[in-house]
Amino acid sequence: MRQCIMTVFVSLWLMGCGEQTWQTKDLSGLMPPLAFNLVDENGNDVTADQYLGRSTLLFFGFTHCPDICPTTLARLDAATQRLKETDRDDIQVLFVSVDPRRDDPASLRAYTDAFGPQFIGLTGNKAALDELTRRYRVTYGYGEEDGNGNYEVSHSSAVFAFNEQGKARVLIRDSDPMDAVVADLKTLVDDG
Amino acid sequence: MLPTPLANIPRPVRIWCWTFLLILGMPSALFAADLQISDARMRLLPGDIPAAGYFTLTNTGETDNTLIGADSASFGNVTIHQSVSKNGVSSMQHVDQLTVAAGEQVEFAPGGYHLMLMKRKHPIAVGDEIEVTLLLGNGQRQNVKFRAGAPTTQ
Ligand SMILES: [Cu+2]
Repeated sequence: MRQCIMTVFVSLWLMGCGEQTWQTKDLSGLMPPLAFNLVDENGNDVTADQYLGRSTLLFFGFTHCPDICPTTLARLDAATQRLKETDRDDIQVLFVSVDPRRDDPASLRAYTDAFGPQFIGLTGNKAALDELTRRYRVTYGYGEEDGNGNYEVSHSSAVFAFNEQGKARVLIRDSDPMDAVVADLKTLVDDG
Repeated sequence: MLPTPLANIPRPVRIWCWTFLLILGMPSALFAADLQISDARMRLLPGDIPAAGYFTLTNTGETDNTLIGADSASFGNVTIHQSVSKNGVSSMQHVDQLTVAAGEQVEFAPGGYHLMLMKRKHPIAVGDEIEVTLLLGNGQRQNVKFRAGAPTTQ
């Protein structure tokens, strides 16, 4: 009995200290804080500092991707819909296009607006994209052009979650169950 | 004489009738519509961004059948694609043809097989029914109506 009370006490104490338990992949201390120099969907130069103060979900993709990218964005949308409104408003999704040749700010804006106001499109030149993808140890690449000028873009399919101070917290993958994603988004909003 | 329905009809006409019935019955016997398509839906994205087509393909026949392509009057270019994920990296690959074995079912669904519908020829709204023709290995062409849905269509 005494041991039981002790366990409860210790876990309460740990929770009070901000030791969260995550259900998706814990990134705390494994990835650097949010930092980038990119161009937003209105054509303005932006840095990560401008996005602090809200929890951030960072995702790499490209708009000429009608299958994987919308599936991930739709999942994030469905997950945030399950949070209460104030929590939902505390989350922004940064969709970073690694295909700046086709994704000018206008098409990026049209794409992210189709998913909801919390989705923000960003892109940049090769140097800026390389710096950011290297920072989070992800890769991207271009396939060969076909006769119609179409080409494939390979990209990381995971979502990096940062708290409102820009600290890396979890990696959300397509294979993670919806309940786990919702629980972690809730923890993320309550964090810091 | 046997009491067949055509017994009272003159012989040349009777032969012609049987031949006609035989020809009529042949296409369904030789080129049966064994590939059945259900739940055809389209994920529509804004502007000039390609749409994705999803459906369930069921081979109800006794022989294997192959999907070799698709086209649509509403799009300049339609191809079969497959999304693949390897070591956390996603990409799409062209699929030249896809064989559905007798009695098997193949799902065209988010994150896997999909039709890549490019170069929209006219505006399409959510709720519209868009005709797409699936080209099969046995030379058959199958018209399917895809219902256009929001970008979050699963
Ligand atoms: Cu595709």
